[in-house]
Amino acid sequence: MNGRAFRALVRKDLVLEVRGREVVPAMAVFVLAAFVLFRFGLGGETLAGGTRAAVGVLWIATVFTAMLGLLRGFAAEREDRLWDGLLASPVDRASIWAARTVSLLVFQIAVQVLALPVFWVLFLQQGRTPSYGVLVLALLLADLGMAALGALVAGLASTARAREVLAPVLFLPFAIPLVIVAVSLTTGTIPPQTAGSHTVTRLGFLGLYDTVFALLGWALFEYVVEE
Amino acid sequence: MSSSEAVACRRLVRRFGERAALDGVDLALAPGETVLLTGPNGAGKTTLLRVLATVLRPSAGDVSVAGHDLPREARRARAAVGYAGHDPLVYPGLRARENLELYAALYGVDPGAVGTALARVGLADRAGDLAGDLSRGMLQRLALARATLHAPGVLLLDEPTAALDAEGRQVLDALLAERGRTTLIATHEPERFADRGWRRVELRAGRVAA
Amino acid sequence: METANGARIDRATAAALAATVLMATALGLIFFYVPNDASEGYSQRIFYLHVPIAMTTYVLFVWGALNAARYLWTGDESLDLRSYVPMHLGTVFGTLTLITGSLWAQISWGTWWDWSSTELNSFLIIFLFYCAYFMLRFSVEPGERRARYSAVYALLGVGLIPVSVLAVHLGQDIIHPITFTRHGANMDNSMLLTFLVSLAAMLVLAYSMYEVELRGKRLDDRIARLRRLAREPAG
Repeated sequence: MNGRAFRALVRKDLVLEVRGREVVPAMAVFVLAAFVLFRFGLGGETLAGGTRAAVGVLWIATVFTAMLGLLRGFAAEREDRLWDGLLASPVDRASIWAARTVSLLVFQIAVQVLALPVFWVLFLQQGRTPSYGVLVLALLLADLGMAALGALVAGLASTARAREVLAPVLFLPFAIPLVIVAVSLTTGTIPPQTAGSHTVTRLGFLGLYDTVFALLGWALFEYVVEE
Repeated sequence: MSSSEAVACRRLVRRFGERAALDGVDLALAPGETVLLTGPNGAGKTTLLRVLATVLRPSAGDVSVAGHDLPREARRARAAVGYAGHDPLVYPGLRARENLELYAALYGVDPGAVGTALARVGLADRAGDLAGDLSRGMLQRLALARATLHAPGVLLLDEPTAALDAEGRQVLDALLAERGRTTLIATHEPERFADRGWRRVELRAGRVAA
Repeated sequence: METANGARIDRATAAALAATVLMATALGLIFFYVPNDASEGYSQRIFYLHVPIAMTTYVLFVWGALNAARYLWTGDESLDLRSYVPMHLGTVFGTLTLITGSLWAQISWGTWWDWSSTELNSFLIIFLFYCAYFMLRFSVEPGERRARYSAVYALLGVGLIPVSVLAVHLGQDIIHPITFTRHGANMDNSMLLTFLVSLAAMLVLAYSMYEVELRGKRLDDRIARLRRLAREPAG
């Protein structure tokens, strides 16, 4: 894999987003709106279920926000035939996938930096809180897995007319195992429970998830873009 | 296939679903030769160029570009081919200079070549402008700079005269006057190049007209 | 294969015949032969349908994914249908799995879904994946690109199976904190026999449906192609 080409592709995505500000702000607004929606939907003054329910809200909102960012760049590049420029160049297709993964990851993290403090204000001020260290680590691992998968899935959906609907549909089944383990992982650190071997096992699962879908993304992406 | 020809197609077929956009194309360009590809709309000119640029894979037949068989050796062929299609293939949100820097990274070209390339197409003073702010003529010049940045041995141009401004025409003429490069130009206006004495190949319904 | 009077029997017919015989045998064994389950009684017999159907669904899925990989590797277009049809049948058998699973939960625990069952819950995720596969298939124009995309997504799903099973297993504490006990795979001989016959019946049934659907789809394709050619002007 070509390091220089990879870095240039990541730079392109990041520079375009910084200048265009099309997606990250939308994702940020979305996740905040989702928090508020869940807050009102699930309980009045005290969220029904307490911290455990709040953890569920966080992870679901994380997944939905990741879904929003998926198609970013893909649709535009396909439409303007900008792909021809990339495809005609010697860069290997796996590098394109890897660069897209990293950009998606950066966008997701950028949104979470904003969203997490807001989440704390809305949900975690009362009651017991999970271990923040574990939570942040879990979010990073989950973001990576979703980005790797998302980069591939967005390619599959990008040529369909109803791509904005198709991309989430293709993505969601894969997000379910992630949410199951992530929620279990996070709630497992809410007092009186503390992080322990069960935490490590679940973190290990997230790592396994990332590895599996990174490998699949790496191997399969060229079949998505080669015509 | 013989690698003494810079570009060679034998019974090249490219299908889209049931329709064969290219239906058995035989074509050969000798190294350094410039050929005009003419023909009505829908004849397959753009498809042929895209196959030669390795953007599309052939459905059947033999293709070799710069001595490399496609699609097997597509990756090696790409480094030697420059392609300027209908669209300028530049990112409107990136500056002119940044676009070329991206392609320099993709093609493994020394970043210092970017400045020279911009100067050669007369865009040195617009290097810091966003590509989306450039006029159509300037975009076309930028596209030519992008296509020739890596000094390709084979150049594929699809309607290069369309939307070209006066300065662009000079740039194009200078480019085509350079020796040693094999060039295939798909064009609606072959008369524009009448005085060059280049061979003309006409494409009709996916085949080379006799 | 030849019958007594020399007529050739093709694979699909042979499979259909075998499936009929096996299914009849299996149903007979299930309803009349195998003894009542010690804890759950007569209604537990649905187990002998539910689990073989579920296993067949997984087999179909792996088969579809295998042909998907072969398609990507060789580019042989006939493999696209050979991959799609098992995936399609997988949704059919998957629906049956969910229905029989739901029935079993209702009979056993009085609820229409059993959240303590890791098999059922991981299966639910796979089923959603099958549905998404279909959405992809419907959303892309028929042709080489659709075949390629279907194959890629099918292979992506291969990663999903172990991941789902593991995830549901790890997440049991949040999915269903109270676990009902379920008796394990200690089956006596008659139970094992019934189970295996039923499993064989389901697999052969799936295979015969595969042959029939494959043939039907190929015919559809041929007709569609002829229609398109008939519309085109001559020359």
